[in-house]
Amino acid sequence: MISPKANTIIETPDRTADKSYSVPKQQRQRPRRLHYFKNQLVAYGLMFPSMAVFVMFFYIPAFYLLYISFFHWGILSSATNFVGLANFRTLLQQPLFFHSLVTSVYYTLVMIPATVLLSLGVALLLREAVTGRKRGSGIWRGAVFLPHVTPIVATSIIWVWIFNPQFGLANFVLTHLGLPALGWLESATWALPAVMIDSLWHSLGLYVIIFLGGLSMVPRELIEVARLDGAKKYQIFRRIIWPLISPTTFFVVVLSTINSWQAFSQIFAMTGGPHGGAGGPAFSTTTDAVLVFQTAFVYYHFSLAAAMSLVLFCIIMVLTLIQKWISDRVVFYR
Amino acid sequence: MASIVMKNIEKKYSKKDSTIAVENVSLSINEGEFIVLLGPSGCGKTTILRMLAGLEELTSGEIWFGDQLMNHEPPEARSVGMVFQSYALYPHMTVFDNLAFGLKARGMSKPLIKQSVHEMVELLGLSSVINHRPKELSGGQRQRVALGRALVRDPAVFLMDEPLSNLDANLREQMRLELARIHKRVKVTTVYVTHDQNEALTLADRVVVMEGGRVRQVGTPEEIYGSPANTFIAGFVGSPGMNLWTLEWKLVGDSILMGEGAIELPRSFLPVLESAGSKVTVGIRPEYLGLSLVHADVKVKCKVELLENLGSHSQLHAHLINETPVSLIARLEPNTYVDPDEEIVLTTSTGAVHLFDAVTGERIDLLGEDYIENENRFTLS
Ligand SMILES: Nc1ncnc2c1ncn2[C@@H]1O[C@H](COP(=O)(O)OP(=O)(O)OP(=O)(O)O)[C@@H](O)[C@H]1O
Ligand SMILES: [Mg+2]
Repeated sequence: MISPKANTIIETPDRTADKSYSVPKQQRQRPRRLHYFKNQLVAYGLMFPSMAVFVMFFYIPAFYLLYISFFHWGILSSATNFVGLANFRTLLQQPLFFHSLVTSVYYTLVMIPATVLLSLGVALLLREAVTGRKRGSGIWRGAVFLPHVTPIVATSIIWVWIFNPQFGLANFVLTHLGLPALGWLESATWALPAVMIDSLWHSLGLYVIIFLGGLSMVPRELIEVARLDGAKKYQIFRRIIWPLISPTTFFVVVLSTINSWQAFSQIFAMTGGPHGGAGGPAFSTTTDAVLVFQTAFVYYHFSLAAAMSLVLFCIIMVLTLIQKWISDRVVFYR
Repeated sequence: MASIVMKNIEKKYSKKDSTIAVENVSLSINEGEFIVLLGPSGCGKTTILRMLAGLEELTSGEIWFGDQLMNHEPPEARSVGMVFQSYALYPHMTVFDNLAFGLKARGMSKPLIKQSVHEMVELLGLSSVINHRPKELSGGQRQRVALGRALVRDPAVFLMDEPLSNLDANLREQMRLELARIHKRVKVTTVYVTHDQNEALTLADRVVVMEGGRVRQVGTPEEIYGSPANTFIAGFVGSPGMNLWTLEWKLVGDSILMGEGAIELPRSFLPVLESAGSKVTVGIRPEYLGLSLVHADVKVKCKVELLENLGSHSQLHAHLINETPVSLIARLEPNTYVDPDEEIVLTTSTGAVHLFDAVTGERIDLLGEDYIENENRFTLS
């Protein structure tokens, strides 16, 4: 007995051979098109669940945000009325909004180079350990990545203790190094740097993994040839590794720009958000994300917060475009 | 330029693993000599090259460049130019920068760099692509850039790891000639790795045949081809390799018959055979077997399987009569015609016969060098 499957296998070449001779072109197309639609259907079917989540929780809220930024929008929606650009006008009259922008720029401008330097440095060390067949490099890699998989709100609370001016670990280390103790989260000058340290620590693992991926794309032979060419370590880094991983570096820069602009949880958790504060002391940690949150959920001025988010969206987009423009001139793609 | 001496060098990649990549290799290479390491895949050629370059630590042994012990010198201190199989060109640099990189790294002055690079580019015929990046180059051009980058620094030692294996057949032949030409010009001590015996025989001053991490024979191409040290080399060198038959022999009248009469040798072989034992491996190169009756001291009776016409010659596939599984390849005149299944007698002169120990495979030298007609044996290749 021949199984149906075997049958089709035997028949298929016959049929196609037939068609190419006798069946007119249009008729020949039809089954193939049907097949195409079937394929498409399956593809969309498989994509549907994740697309649905994406549309539901991302696109719809985003467009709704655009919509409500033109209204005076109460949370019970009874007092909703169209106000045009009034929200944007209000925004431009808010000194705190500009202050938050400056704070965000400060935060981002420190975070980008710090992220790149630190994560690239750690990635280079880890790679050295792997190629030098040092034992335990897997443990180090795990150790670096571990903070990233912990919830940032939880670990931020630990950092609050570390930065405690009286008995925190940070000041303990500083005083032991003979440096003055700092006020950290209680000081308008040092609160934001404290948040930066927490954020760096938390996100380092992710960027290290990305850089390790980038470094693994640099062929070992290139490094070897460069050594034979007489290049010193820093020359190899500067002239070979750095240009070749520039796509990765660019990716990290873009990613950390976006993440920094949107930094919220760690600031919220570290500056007393759970107790109704956040952004202090003296608004020194009020980044735009914090301000948006407070406007919406502390002062319940949703449409103003929506307008604020839109402005931020535009700023991030412009920044990304500028970065893209720069990258086209600096980044080396193979 | 420098001479190279390797003293009992050995390489194990891992302490736990007992496999030895390179085992007790000793070799001395003269200044300006072109040495080819020849051997099948995995025999440790690349490993030796990498140890010479300093990219791999020695497990034991010594490497000397001239009168300097190199064991613990890092690659950047060795004055070694190396061409990798993959070329390993800097993808983000132009041809000029690829060549200039090593000079810059060593702090050469700009005008001098410019001059050296331009000279090298001229020598290699790359002037028209000097501002191109590697991905805009053809395979042959990339190959030449890799050569140029290694040579422009005037290295003491020049290493090449299968530099031609990524090229197509025509280009490979062309580049082979070019390599020979360049070596004649720059005369740098060269170690060249290949598993292509044509490259080995045409380029080398001396060939080092390797197998399983060991050196099997060191000699001029003529020696390797004309007096292979064992059956491995006899079968490996030459295309196709030497016919090798392990057979019993007996004296019948005035001649010696082997394999139930398939091979007939003159009586003069008797003393050698007697000392070798009742069984012996006979080797005859395909290109020395013919249908001529002039130098017909040695006769090989065989049954034709197939005759391939390859243009410049015909390649005969056959098997020895009465010894069905034992096959034979012969390179015949281009316009030879034989029928399949026809039984024919191929002939050769006594000088073309090699004998090897049936057990160890080691070469058995025939009585005295003048006994072998060395001279005309090499001209045919
Ligand atoms: N980095 C390495 N780690 C462990 N073993 C290795 C390493 N490199 C090579 N080997 C082993 O050493 C032996 C010799 O390798 P090598 O690369 O020298 O061979 P080769 O003669 O260059 O072969 P090919 O002609 O295929 O390039 C092989 O058995 C290989 O498996
Ligand atoms: Mg190799």
